[in-house]
Amino acid sequence: MLEAINLSKTYSSDGVDYEALRSVDLRVEAGDCVAIVGKSGSGKSTLMHLLACLDAPTSGSVHIDSIDTAELTEKEKNLLRNEKFGFVFQQFFLNGRETVYENVVLPMRIRGATASQTSADAASALEAVGLTDKALKKAKDLSGGEKQRVCIARALVGKPQVIFADEPTGNLDSTTGAAVENMLFSLNRDKGITLVIVTHDDELARRCDRVIEMKDGRIVSEKRGEDVI
Amino acid sequence: MRFWDLLRIANRNLFRNKLRTFLTVAAIFVGSFTLTMTNGIGDGMRSYVESQIKNFESDSVLMVRRKIERPEGAGGSGPREYKENELNGEDDDGEPFDRTSALVTVPQMDTALNGVTNVKSVTPRYSIAGEYITVDGQKKYRAELGMLSQGITQKTEAGSTITGDGQIVIPIGLARALDEKIENLIGKTATVAYKDPTDQLKTVPVKIVGVATKGFMTNTSSFVDAATAKLIHLDQKHEEGFDKFYAFSVQLESADPAKIDDAKSLLESRGFTAETMADNQKRTSDALGIFKIGMSLIALIALLAASFGIINTLVIAVLERTKEIGLQKALGMGRGKIFAIFSLESVLIGFWGAVLGTVAGIVVGLIVNKVLVTSYAESFEGFTLFVFTLPSIAIVMALVCGIAFVAGVMPAIRASRLNPIESLRYE
Repeated sequence: MLEAINLSKTYSSDGVDYEALRSVDLRVEAGDCVAIVGKSGSGKSTLMHLLACLDAPTSGSVHIDSIDTAELTEKEKNLLRNEKFGFVFQQFFLNGRETVYENVVLPMRIRGATASQTSADAASALEAVGLTDKALKKAKDLSGGEKQRVCIARALVGKPQVIFADEPTGNLDSTTGAAVENMLFSLNRDKGITLVIVTHDDELARRCDRVIEMKDGRIVSEKRGEDVI
Repeated sequence: MRFWDLLRIANRNLFRNKLRTFLTVAAIFVGSFTLTMTNGIGDGMRSYVESQIKNFESDSVLMVRRKIERPEGAGGSGPREYKENELNGEDDDGEPFDRTSALVTVPQMDTALNGVTNVKSVTPRYSIAGEYITVDGQKKYRAELGMLSQGITQKTEAGSTITGDGQIVIPIGLARALDEKIENLIGKTATVAYKDPTDQLKTVPVKIVGVATKGFMTNTSSFVDAATAKLIHLDQKHEEGFDKFYAFSVQLESADPAKIDDAKSLLESRGFTAETMADNQKRTSDALGIFKIGMSLIALIALLAASFGIINTLVIAVLERTKEIGLQKALGMGRGKIFAIFSLESVLIGFWGAVLGTVAGIVVGLIVNKVLVTSYAESFEGFTLFVFTLPSIAIVMALVCGIAFVAGVMPAIRASRLNPIESLRYE
C-alpha cells in the first residue's frame, strides 16, 4: 500500500543543513494500523508528510500502490491525496464560521462531486461520528471533542484508503481523546481503512498493531502495540 | 471543484470581514462612479454634436477649401513682420495668417476641378450677412443667413428642403413667431433684408419652403439657396466683381466611395482639401472621442488608487487564511483553484464597486439632466449633458472588473504558491 524506500529529507536554511530523515525504509500494508512515535524532532511528522505526498523527499522514494510518487505530477498528487487519503490534525483546522456540514464536505467540493453524491457521503460520514444532529451548527460552537469528530468525518467523507492522523488527541482531554481514538480504530477495524497515526502518546500507540519508534531521523525499533511498555 | 463552488466560497470569504470588504468596495465605487460620469458627459456631447450635424444630409457632396501654407512666423516661432495690405485673419488654431490667400475665384475653382469626373454640380460657398426677415408686413425679425449647397438636404419640421432658386428654410423659433401654425408659412413669400457696403438696406423676396428641425445651427440660422446667396454676396462686397469665396462644394453623380476618393486625391494634388460631411462628422466625433478618453483617464487614476486597496485587502486575507489554504492544499486543492478563489474575490470586489458606482452615476446624471432642462438648457434644445448607453456601461463594468482582476493577481499567486506543510504550521 505505502512503501518508503531509503527515504531521506534534508532541510536547508541559512546554509545549515538539517537532516530530518535519514535512509528510512518502511512498508505499510492495506488495513494496517501504524503508530509512529518519537520525541519532537525525531522525524515522525516529516515521515508522515512524505508518505502522504505533502512533501517531496530529498532522496529515496515513496511508492503508493506500487506507483513511484516521484513520477506523479502535482495534479496527480493532489488527486491522489483527495481520493485515497484522509487527514486528521491536532489543531483541527476547521472553518469556524461555516457549518459542520460545509467543513465536512470540503474534500467533496475540491473533488467536484455532484450535489447528491456530496450530501449522501456527508450524511454517512456525519452518522459515523455521531454528529448528524449538529450538521447545521457553526463549527466554532462545538466542543473540542466534537470538533475532532468533525475532522474525522471530513477525513472519512471521501472514502479514503488511508487516514493520516497527526497527534489526533493532542488537544483533547483523556475522556474525549479516548472517544476519538475509539472512532479511528473502529474505522480501521470495520472499514479496513489503513491508519497512520503520529503521536507521542504511549497510550494511543499501545492500541495500534504496529509501533514504529523514531529517533534522530531514523527508525530505531518496531514493536507490536501490546509490547509497548 | 466546480465554478459555482469557487464563486460561493469567494463570496463567503468576502463576508468574513465585512467592514474591510465594504471599504475596499467603496474605493472602487468612487472610481466607477467617476468613470461613469465622465463617459456620460463624453457621450452626451458626442450625441449632441452628432444629432446637430445630422440635420443636414448628403452623401455625395465634397466641401473643398484651399490648403493653407502656414506663413513663416506662425506657429509661435517669433513675431511676424508687418506687410502693408496684408489682411489679417486667424486659422483654426488661432494662429494669424493672411486670410485672403485662402480665397478662391471661379476660374481657379474651374481649374481645380478640371478632369474631376462625375461632377453633377458645383456651388461656391458664399458667406452672407442678413439684417432682418419678415412676412406679410408683420414684425421684422433679426435674421442670420446661411447657404445650403446643392446636393445637401436639410431636415424640416414642415415643408421641405430647398429645391430651387429664391427659396429659404427658416428656424422653428422664428416660424412660430411668425405663425403659430408653422404649416401656414410654407409657400409664403418672405422679405429678407441685408446691408450693402454703403450701409444701405436692400431686400430680396424669397419663398419659404420649409421650417428646419431643431438643431445647433438650424435653431438660429435661416438657409437660402445658392443663387440667392450669390446675389446677396455680390451686393455686399466693396469691389466690383469680387466673386471670391473661401470654399466651394462639389456634388458628385454618385456616392461611390471609390469615385469620391478619386475626386479627393485629384483636388488634394492641386492644393485643395476636400471632405464629405461624413469625414467632417468623423473628425468631430474623433475629437470628442479623444476628449472622452482624456476625461476617463482621470477616472482611471481613481481606479488605480482603489486597486491598491484591493491588493492590500487580499494580501492581508492571504496571511489570515494561510492555515486554511494549507488545509485546502493538503486535501488536494490545486494551485489553479486557490488562485481562482482569490481572483474571484478580487473580481467580486470590483464587480460590486462597478455596479454600485455605475448605478449611482446614472442616477446622479439623470437628476442633473432634469435640473438642467428646467433651468439652463432652453437655449441648448436637444442637449442632454449625460447620455448613458448600454455599451458604455458594459465597458465601464468590464474595465473595472478587469482592473480588479489584475490587482488580485499578485495576492492570488502568493496564495497559490504557499507550501501546505508550512502553511499548516503558520502561526
